[in-house]
Amino acid sequence: MLKKEDYIKIRKIVFTSMLLVPAIPFILALSIGYYYFTTSLEKSTISNLKRVAKDHGQMIDAFLSERKSNISFILHSYKLDTLTDAGMLQNIFKKLKQEFPAFIDLGIFNQDGIHIAYHGPYELIGKDYGNKEWFKEVMEKDQYTSDIFLGYRKTPHFVIALKKNDKGNAWIIRATIDTFMFNKLVKDVRIGKTGEAYIINKSGILQTERRSGGILMGKSENDLKYLNPNTAIEFLNQDKKYVYATTWIKNDNWMLIARQEKADAFKAVNKASRLIIYISIAWGICIIFAVFLITERIIRLLKKMDREKEQLNQQLIGASRLVELGEMAAGFAHEINNPLQIIQSEQSFMELNLSELIKAEQLKGSEFIDELKDSIKQIKLQVFRCSKITQQILKFGRQSEPEKKEIDIKIFIPEIIEIIAKKAFVHGIEIKQDIALNLLPVYGDISQLQQVLLNLFNNAIDAIIERHGVSGGELIVKSELKNNKDVEISMSDNGAGINPENLKKIFSPFFTTKSVGKGTGLGLSVCYGIINNMGGKMEVNSQIDVGTTFTIFLPAYV
Amino acid sequence: MVKLKMMLVDDEERFLQTTSKLLMKKGYNVITALSGEEALEKLKSHNINVVILDVKMPGMDGNTTLLEIKRLYPMVEVIMLTGHATVESAVSGLQSGATDYLMKPADIEDIIEKAEIAFAKIQRLEEKIRSALMKKFMKSPREILKNSEN
Repeated sequence: MLKKEDYIKIRKIVFTSMLLVPAIPFILALSIGYYYFTTSLEKSTISNLKRVAKDHGQMIDAFLSERKSNISFILHSYKLDTLTDAGMLQNIFKKLKQEFPAFIDLGIFNQDGIHIAYHGPYELIGKDYGNKEWFKEVMEKDQYTSDIFLGYRKTPHFVIALKKNDKGNAWIIRATIDTFMFNKLVKDVRIGKTGEAYIINKSGILQTERRSGGILMGKSENDLKYLNPNTAIEFLNQDKKYVYATTWIKNDNWMLIARQEKADAFKAVNKASRLIIYISIAWGICIIFAVFLITERIIRLLKKMDREKEQLNQQLIGASRLVELGEMAAGFAHEINNPLQIIQSEQSFMELNLSELIKAEQLKGSEFIDELKDSIKQIKLQVFRCSKITQQILKFGRQSEPEKKEIDIKIFIPEIIEIIAKKAFVHGIEIKQDIALNLLPVYGDISQLQQVLLNLFNNAIDAIIERHGVSGGELIVKSELKNNKDVEISMSDNGAGINPENLKKIFSPFFTTKSVGKGTGLGLSVCYGIINNMGGKMEVNSQIDVGTTFTIFLPAYV
Repeated sequence: MVKLKMMLVDDEERFLQTTSKLLMKKGYNVITALSGEEALEKLKSHNINVVILDVKMPGMDGNTTLLEIKRLYPMVEVIMLTGHATVESAVSGLQSGATDYLMKPADIEDIIEKAEIAFAKIQRLEEKIRSALMKKFMKSPREILKNSEN
């Protein structure tokens, strides 16, 4: 029998192993899934940003080179004389504006930086630009594209200037272009909720408006550190984290930055991880609950099996003890019979001698003779009583094979009832019988089975008399088919009943509640042994002042 | 009238003594034997009619002794005395040729009664043999001569 601590231990082991075994692959699958999902999402987010940066960078570069080629076209198509003519310049500008409406003005400079011709909204002719940085650069490199600036006009614009060397006489053409067009182009980039694109120059001055704040020409200090790598992803560790993709444009003078708040970029990841956590918690609760239930069930089954095993063990011990006792008793009885035989002979001898003495008148008549006679008679009686006991013991402990044959229960039981009917009637006992007709025959020694049933009947009658006297007794004999083949015979009386203490010992040899000399206490143990030998079982149920039921199960003979 | 001559066989000496004294007082001719071997030995020299034979004895047991007696002296009747109340052992005894069986402790009256019945059986049997022989002799008196020649 397992102890309480053992059950606690088993419960612990079963519980943890049942929880851990499925949990490990589950957690493994979840984490692997999570890892691949997040990395692939990160990769796609980043490549998206990279693509946006690259595409838009190319677009800006294309825009700038288109504008440059617009100007270049003019530079190479017209002579300086034509361009310095105010009317012609106006015409050319008109055509240029048709080509691209963002052109604001168009001017021509000589090699000293004097504005020699101009068409546009301002009066700039004659102004000297000789010292300006842009002029110096265009003189040196033949071309110049400015950063975006507000200038006199207070509108964001930039200039493109190109130099032409005309037989040692250099001149410069310069056009101002409103940045509205590419500002819009860049500003309109939308990635998710917070994804945006903007351009800064090498000094970190915003060249386009930034949707998340940061006006044109404003300084964007934080972005400066991203100016170095060509295309890089980093996270800005300020109040918000960003995912960046950058690309150089305008011959590495400007940088286009596409960025998205990290929280936004990884919204799907976060959503998925939250879902995963919820699922895990729900799963965990379910599993714990289920495991708990299963563990309890296992423990319950285990306990039940343990109990049944224990019961079986006790039954086996009980049965084997009965057999041992029976054998011992039989041996004992057999040995007792020999001295009994001697006592018997001695008694007979004494009796004979005494009667001869009396006959020969060698003993004078006295009361002692009568007493002696009585004693001798008593010896005979007691030997007889002993012999009855030993005979019963021997019956109980018999080991030899009884004479077995088929017994038809449905004929057999009424025959037995007939035998005891008279005795029952005398004591006012009503016998009810309920014998099923579909009973299969059983196999055994008919006289033994007879002995069993008669014994039970006699006990029942005694119990009824004890409670009811000579009226009101009832004895129900039932026989039915069990499990489609086995025979169950039950005998219920409404007698005095047996108390639980005695009920436990009822099949033990020599156990009797009857007064000394009235019973040997062997009857039921003999019955038990007989039924056991027939491969059957015998059970008893009793309640004080309600009655007793003996039930016999016998296997069918097939 | 031929008198019943009995032999008691048992390993209990006191039983033999007392019972034989009792039987002798009642007028029977009794000898005793303490074992199966002794019984067979004594049967050689004594003309015994009925043997009261204990089943359980050390050495040669009752059933073996019974078989020997029946083989050597078919006209001797044997009554088994058993300490074991099983019908089976008695039945096996009866099947081996015992006349009857008695259960220990057996009353002296029962012993005498069964022995008398057995003896009567012997006498009936002997009577039959005698009358059969008589008939034979009546038919051809020469047989007597033949017999006496043998």
